[in-house]
Amino acid sequence: MTRREAMAGSSQIGTKGSSMQVSEERYSVDVTLDEGGLRVHFHGTISTMNPAAVLNPFVDSVHEELVRTHARNVRIDLRELEFCNSSGFKTFIHWIELIKKLPAEQRYRLRFVSSPARKWQRTSLLALSCYGVDAVVVE
Amino acid sequence: MTEIVRRSQTRPIYLMLRMKPPWVFIDEIRRFVESFCACACPNQEREAQVALAVHELMQNAVPHSREEDVDLVLEVDPNTDKVTISVSNPCSGEQFEKLRARITSMNAEPDALKHYLESMRAAPTTRGGLGLPRVRFEAQLDVAAHHDGDRVMVVAAGKLRAPRLHLEGGVLS
Repeated sequence: MTRREAMAGSSQIGTKGSSMQVSEERYSVDVTLDEGGLRVHFHGTISTMNPAAVLNPFVDSVHEELVRTHARNVRIDLRELEFCNSSGFKTFIHWIELIKKLPAEQRYRLRFVSSPARKWQRTSLLALSCYGVDAVVVE
Repeated sequence: MTEIVRRSQTRPIYLMLRMKPPWVFIDEIRRFVESFCACACPNQEREAQVALAVHELMQNAVPHSREEDVDLVLEVDPNTDKVTISVSNPCSGEQFEKLRARITSMNAEPDALKHYLESMRAAPTTRGGLGLPRVRFEAQLDVAAHHDGDRVMVVAAGKLRAPRLHLEGGVLS
């Protein structure tokens, strides 16, 4: 467990006003805005013991912004994500659960952009699309 | 290198590692296993799945290793079309019973994807519980565990030439 993961369990990370980016030793996540709306870029390797402690508050912040702006889609770019362990994978499950809790008219879709060279992404996203049938699109 | 691999394919190819690994080395082991498999079984398109399985099994083993040895054995046998990953670590009888119950419950569901999705639903915000179902579905490997004295060995095994994943709406290779 990284120091930040340990701290995240009891700190203010993820509360309103937190930055919409994550910068850890082996992975980072940032958000950009382009003509298609928000794009969330994952970089590096998510393989720490409890990445959800860092990533879930980040997802909560992005989710709030997407709801506030009435977004219909958000692109999640995994092309620079070398690997994500099952603990990190739960962050995407958490995200789908947040969407499911929204009233139907406020729901948006997670549009995943993957890399053909990173073969694990296709099977992981396949499973995720089965979990979040109406919330996940794999481009 | 190709000639070496061709000659070695008349018998199983083994990789054995004994480690007292800090968590951070698991990434390096995954990368090494992926390269090893790509070399040991070229054109099988299996290296990413095997590497994923090794990663998940190692991440289950290391926290329980109590700073003692964690053993990894990878066996690739093109002749019998089998790949087997074995990871062993120190484990109390009580810990093993919990693990065995989880694996028994998992294997009682014949549909690996269905169980994987149920595991996602069961505990989306808690740690753990997704690694073995992920190995079973995404790496297409059967999972079992054996207890011997004070150690547990988790074995993930399956076909080297895994069938394509068929799901409603599409096929993935």
